[in-house]
Order: sequence, then C-alpha cells, then structure tokens
Amino acid sequence: MAPADLSSGLERDDLQGLLASGYGHLREARYLLLAIDDQTRAAAWLGRLAGELTTARAKSEHSAVNVALAASGLAKLGLAPELGRFPDRFLDGMTAPHRSRALGDVEADAPENWSWGGPTTTPVDLLLLLYAEDKDALAALEQRLTGVEAGLEVIQRLDTEWSEREHFGFRDGIAQPLVEGLREGSRDDTIRAGEFVLGHRNEHGQVTDRPLVGRAADPAGILPTDPVTGDADLGRNGSYLVLRQLSQDVGRFWTFVDRATSGADGRSDPEERVRLAARIVGRWPDGEPLVLAPDGPTDAQRPSDEFRYHDLDPDGLRCPLGAHIRRAHPRDMLDPDPGSERSIAIDKRHRLLRRGRGYGVPISAASALDGGGGDDGERGLHFICMCANIARQFEFVQHTWLNSPKFHGLYDDADPLVGPAGRSLTLQATPVSRRVKDLPSFVGVRGGAYFFLPGVRALRYLASIAR
Amino acid sequence: MKNAQIVGPSATRRPAPGKTTASADLPAPAAERRAARQIAITIVADIKRRRLAALKRTLETIGADPANNAIVPFAALPRTHFARLVALDATEGPAGEVFEPQLVYLADVDEPPDAESALGRCLEELVDVAGAGLDRVFGACVGYPAPSRATPAGRLAFLREHSVDPAAAYVNTVGRSVRQIRQEDQLRVAICGFLDERRAALCELGAVELRCAIQDFVAARAELAWALSAPPSPGLTDRVRDVAGLIALPAGLLALSPVLLPALVPFALALRREEASDPAPHVVPSRDHVLRLAEQEDHGPQNQFNAVASDGVGFVKPGIVRRVTAEVVLRGIDYAARHIYDHANLGGVKTIHTARWVFLDDGRRRMIFASNYDGSLEAYNDDFVDKVWWGLNAVFSNGTGFPATRWLFFGGARQEQPFKDYLRGRQVPSQVWYSSYPGLTTLNIENNARIRAGLRGDMSGEEVEQWLRRI
Repeated sequence: MAPADLSSGLERDDLQGLLASGYGHLREARYLLLAIDDQTRAAAWLGRLAGELTTARAKSEHSAVNVALAASGLAKLGLAPELGRFPDRFLDGMTAPHRSRALGDVEADAPENWSWGGPTTTPVDLLLLLYAEDKDALAALEQRLTGVEAGLEVIQRLDTEWSEREHFGFRDGIAQPLVEGLREGSRDDTIRAGEFVLGHRNEHGQVTDRPLVGRAADPAGILPTDPVTGDADLGRNGSYLVLRQLSQDVGRFWTFVDRATSGADGRSDPEERVRLAARIVGRWPDGEPLVLAPDGPTDAQRPSDEFRYHDLDPDGLRCPLGAHIRRAHPRDMLDPDPGSERSIAIDKRHRLLRRGRGYGVPISAASALDGGGGDDGERGLHFICMCANIARQFEFVQHTWLNSPKFHGLYDDADPLVGPAGRSLTLQATPVSRRVKDLPSFVGVRGGAYFFLPGVRALRYLASIAR
Repeated sequence: MKNAQIVGPSATRRPAPGKTTASADLPAPAAERRAARQIAITIVADIKRRRLAALKRTLETIGADPANNAIVPFAALPRTHFARLVALDATEGPAGEVFEPQLVYLADVDEPPDAESALGRCLEELVDVAGAGLDRVFGACVGYPAPSRATPAGRLAFLREHSVDPAAAYVNTVGRSVRQIRQEDQLRVAICGFLDERRAALCELGAVELRCAIQDFVAARAELAWALSAPPSPGLTDRVRDVAGLIALPAGLLALSPVLLPALVPFALALRREEASDPAPHVVPSRDHVLRLAEQEDHGPQNQFNAVASDGVGFVKPGIVRRVTAEVVLRGIDYAARHIYDHANLGGVKTIHTARWVFLDDGRRRMIFASNYDGSLEAYNDDFVDKVWWGLNAVFSNGTGFPATRWLFFGGARQEQPFKDYLRGRQVPSQVWYSSYPGLTTLNIENNARIRAGLRGDMSGEEVEQWLRRI
C-alpha cells in the first residue's frame, strides 16, 4: 500500500487545540457529557461550534473550546453507513465485556457501576471541553454555547479543580510526548505526529488507519481527499480521545502506606511512609524521579525528566521495576535489548498525550491520615488521553503494562498505584527483594468512553450530513 | 504394553476441580536422568458434515473445564504442557476447491521415558485417560470405528492413522518438562516464603551467607531436595542426534551448492516477479469475527492463537516457486527451532511457549499455525511487527492475500495495520484450550530455572548478588 501523500508540517488551523496544549494557563475547565436530542438542531449547533473551536494555530488567550464525538453521536448525525470504517475499538466502545477484562474494569469498577458511560446510563454522544480563566467566565462560556437551541441534553457536567499535583500529592503530567511538528524538545520524547494526529506518519513510518467516506458522500467537498483511495478523508487531523473518570481514595492510600511502614511498636515513620509512596509512584511528591534522586528529593526547582532506566537502574534498586511510572512509560527498559535505541523505538509506539484534570476538594496526606476528607465528596482525576490507535496505545498501556501482573518478568505485581486490589509490590533491594503484599485498590473507575476528536473540517462535514 | 506410571482417569488421581494439578499428581521421578524432549502431537481428521454442530457443542463442554471435564480430562495427562482441539468449518481454496470440515488436536507433550515409540506411548496414554470420551470427540470424524467396535485398540489405531508430522515446531526451551516447570515454581514460592518469614534475621546477612541460608533451607526440606541437583540433561543419543542434525543441513547445503547457487538468482528473480503481481488487498475482519475471538482472550497471562487458511486466503500460492519456497522456509524454521532458538528466545521474542505449522491436506496447500504465548494479542502482534517480521514474511508471504513483501523478507509484516488485520482475519477460535501451568509466563519459567541453577556450584560474590535479585 502506497503511503498517503502528506504535506510537510501540520495544518494547525485544522487541528483542535487540545492536541497542542493542555491550556494550563486557563485554570477553570468543565467537561460536558451531552446526548443529542434533536439531530437537526444539534447538527446546526455543531456547525456554529466549528467556527468557535480553539485550534492549534494560536494561543487561546481567555478561553478555549474543543469537542469530541462518541460512535453513537456520529450515528445520530447521520454517519451510520460509514461507521464501519472506524476501528472496532472505537465502535464497540470502552464497555464491551472483553474490553472490560483487558482494561481491568471489573467487579466494583465494572461499567454496570459507572455513573456515566455504562450500560445502564444515558449514552454519551458528545463531549464538550470548555476552558476559561475563572469560574464566571466559564459559566458564561457554557451558557453562551449550550443554549436551548442546541438540541442537546446535558447528561453530566464534569467539573475540574486545577492543581499541579494529583490528589495523592504527587506532581502529575510530567512525562509527555512531544508531537513532532507542534513542539520541540528531547529526542526520546519527540514522537511522530501520526501517533496522535490521524492522516500523518506514525512511528512505523506509516499512516494509521482512519475513517474515510466515499467522495459522493461529501458533495460539497468539505473534506480533503485521501490520495491513495480518492475517498474523502474524515479522519485527517483528528484523533481518538479517551476519557475516564478515576476516583482516588486518598485516605486508603496514605493509611496503607503508613501501616506498611510503621515500626514494630506500631508507630508511624513519616520518612519511610513518603519513601514507600514514592516507590509506588516512581517519583518523589515534587515529581523528581527516583532513578535520578534515589535517596530523597533534591529540592530542584523544576526536576529533570530526562533519564533512561537501563544504565542507572537495570535491577530496580533505585525505582522498583513495577512502579507506576516504569509501567506507564518504560523508556529503554524493554526487551529484547534494554538500554538500546531499539528499546526506545518500541516505547515510542505506546505513548499517550495526556490532558486530564483533577476533580474534587484536595486533601493533604496528613488530614487523610487523620480520617478527614470523608465529608466533602468524591475526588479523583478526569483522565484524558489522545492517540491515533486506541488498541496499540491506550489499551496496550493499560493491559500489557499497567495491569499485567507479569510486567517485566514479575510474578504477581500489578500497577501499585492504579492497578487492581490483591496484588503485590516487589521492592528490589540488596541483598534480596521485599514484597509488599495485598495492596488495596486506591483508584476506582466511575465512568468512561472513547471519543473521536475530529479536525475542524471534519466537524463541519459531520454537521452538514443531516442537512 | 502398559506402563505402571500411566495415570488412569480414576477419581483418586484427579485434582480437585478448579485447581491445577498438584505435585502429587506428577509422575514419579524415576528414569529422569535423561531430559525429555517435547513432542508436538498433531492429529488431523475430517469431520462428517452432519456431525459438526454437535461436535462443537461437545467441545464447548470440554472447553468449559479442560483440566477436569469428564470427556477428556487433560489434567490426568501429566506430561502435557498445552493441548487444544479446534473444529474447522468447511471452506474453499482460492480456486474454489472444497475443504471438508476438520478436527485438529494439538498437544505439546514430554517424551515418555523408556518408550520405544514416544508418540505411540503418548497416544496410548490419551486413549487410557479419555477412554470412551474419545468416541464423543473423534466419533464425529470420518473413519472412526463404529460404536460397537470402539475398543481401546480401535481408538489407538485411529489416532495413529491420523497423526501427522508438523511442518515445523518450536518450543520455548527444549527439554524443560512439565514436571520441572511446576517443581521449579514450587521452589521459588518456598524460597520466597522462607525469606518473607525470616526477613529480619536474614537481612543482616551478606549476600554469600544469605545464599548459604537458602541452600540450607532447601536441603532441609525433603520435598525440595531435588532442587539441589541439576535438571536432567540430554542423553548421549540425543546429543549425538543434535550434533548430527545441526551439521546435516549446512553440510547438505554445502554439498549441493554447485547446483543450488547458480539456481538461486533465477529463483529469486522469479519470486520477486510473483511478489510484484500477487494480490494483497487490505481486508479488515468483521466485528463479529473479532468479537468471537476476543471473548476467548485475556482470561489469564497466557493466550492461544490459531491462524488457518480459509475462504481462499492464506493458502500456499500456486506455482512451483511458492511451493518450493514454503517447504524450504518451513524446513529452515524447524531447523532453527531445534538447533538455534532452543532456549527461551525466538529471534528476540521471549514470550512464546510453543508454536507449530501443520499442513492440513495431502496437497500441502492448507496450513494451520498454532501457538501459545504470553500477554495480549496486540503485544504478540507488535512483537511480530517489531522483532521477527522477517521470519513471518518468509513463511506467511507464501500464502494468498498476505501483505506484499519484497525479496521474501522485506515489507509484509512491517505494514502494521494490513498485517494485523490479515492475521486477525485468518484466526479461528480453539474450542478447547488447556494449559498445565496457566499462571506462569515464559519469563517466570526461565527465571525459576535460574533460581534453581543458583542453588549449586561455586559463585563469585557478584554472581551471588545477581542471583539473589532473581528471587
């Protein structure tokens, strides 16, 4: 198959801005889960929205708006006959039984128990992502965009709480891939655009499969043409967006870590407590990686994230082999040739562009240990990531790296931070490893769905079908 | 002739439901000086069309509890690593040739000790264990003895007649028996338990003293005493056979080189010409097909995989060039599996327990590829795309519809999406799939073997430290 002819550089005007930025300067954000009630009005609304979308072109000074659609939303807009050309993963959604098994969404985390996105709740058709500088501006933005004319029903408003640190108290969102053509930076983190943006070359040097529609289905010629098939390219400049609402039990986390590090007399050891928590994560609370600072945080202003595992810590003596950050992004520790460029090349095919934000009232470790925080509701992370291949990127990381008890030759360890209950954490040490057994589950799944984040032209096209 | 060790299907030898066989069910360690080779038992038989649906239901019953079901209780075959039963629907070749439905039985079994015919003995054991259960399975096949004549001898004769040699077979580590794999895992668990229990005192020790303490612990436990000796190694006959096999192929090639070398260039050019015109459409498998397969996957750390030629796709391409290429490459794979990739690593892929290629028809055009591997299908396929693409291309590109290759080895599987879709499209479910150590990955098994190996012999201080990290 000949590769598509791809112009150099990305068409920033056609890319939704979330691919280029997490909008960190806009501290308020809200994610609206919407159902389409009225096809015609919703289509007209999306058409208007296309003109207001924040793109990757310019920095959004005061507010930002992005939108993504679930498979059900595309069907309601009239795309049904073409839906088959989206990948199975997207069409089946996050809640097919075999998918739940692979993702670890079982028992208490099963979709039946979700507050949205599950089989018993209203299907989510659309995801509207709103960002603003303050709460009033956010409310005004929402008011303006989702008036009664929209033909939409709000299923849920997912509010967010800005913080540099996630609720367990660790700086988050540090290791991010850089989309080639959008951002410059370290070589290990620079990933070809096609890993995140459809219609461009990926880390295999190929163009990931993407939805195309027959040229006749786009009489107005809104979509660009795929040079290989001559079809209209619905996927180009789009991405897949994974949203999962992950609740965090901060009290359980710190209580467990506290008990696991208490002395024989039952007395807490605050220093060991933080050390164990850091070994679960793989970083100190300020974000400094254990591999670079094995003895304790160095109070660096902006801790470096430029490191590889194999030379510094092949056996996990600094950072446990099963720690969260090693699993989520193993860098150069992968078979068959750890420490090599080949290992990095494999890691690069499983990166995720993360854009999530926390929700709920923050609580300190100290007050969580005192049993506080029980009265002010749930807290957690609205996890968002984007990728071009849900199977090879998001699901692979979740299943083969995070949840697998066999990661890197281990026996019965799953991700100690976000994995299921009942597994162990092996702490490699001299002379011999120690096992922390029967870890509880600290993170629950409250909802989730797969979305298609279209390019701007593709959104215009989708809005035009029903007309 | 009956062997006293053979385990009959009596209730007393059966493990409790829901549990894998405990060590008590393993054969006694007699005659274990010589390492058992694994043999790839392969039985292929045509299914009577009208019996296919009922057979599939029977297989589902077995598949619901492969270890302890009443029909073919695989746990009562203690030398069996993996086993599967696959009922293939009738299908058509690329030119509309009809292939009848077939039943394929695949098992990876340790060679029995002191048997004249290893395969014969294994089949006898299957007949002993499954008894009339075999009638319920193979009774649906053409040529199976009528109910009145279904005696043990009749069943055995049928199995013998329908057993075929795989075109190529791979095992992760040649000569590592089920017994050894299970025992060595028990050893690791026991050592970990010892360390967890006595942690405070043991951590005061230096590495070398700690190793001594572990050795003493193992020596003091009668049920672990075996661990202090080396696992059985290949007997003299096996070693001679290995060396002979290792030399035979290169020697033969060298002897024939005056003929082969001049032929190679025109042959390669002919192959290249065919490659350039072979159709290679990118076909995305249907959602129903994928769903049916996905239901079987990811229930534990191991998975099974079958890819078979069907609906005109995956059959050895017509013409002498492709036929010769396919046969030569398969012979090469079989050679490499026996003599090069015989220990825990197949060209950089360490997660495959066993794999084999079997021709299903006398014309050698319809093939099934079957493997047992660790992790998800996505990870398995990524290993193909990233690490052993050249080998996959060399063998699978001789099949119709495979993504286009260049010079046999290049292209093809490197095209991630067309390749993954091609494999998924050819995949068929295993109605019955049995693993005798479902909780262990190849990496676990290899690490366990090294833990045992470190219990004996002299080691430098640094070697001891490295060894302790395995525990």
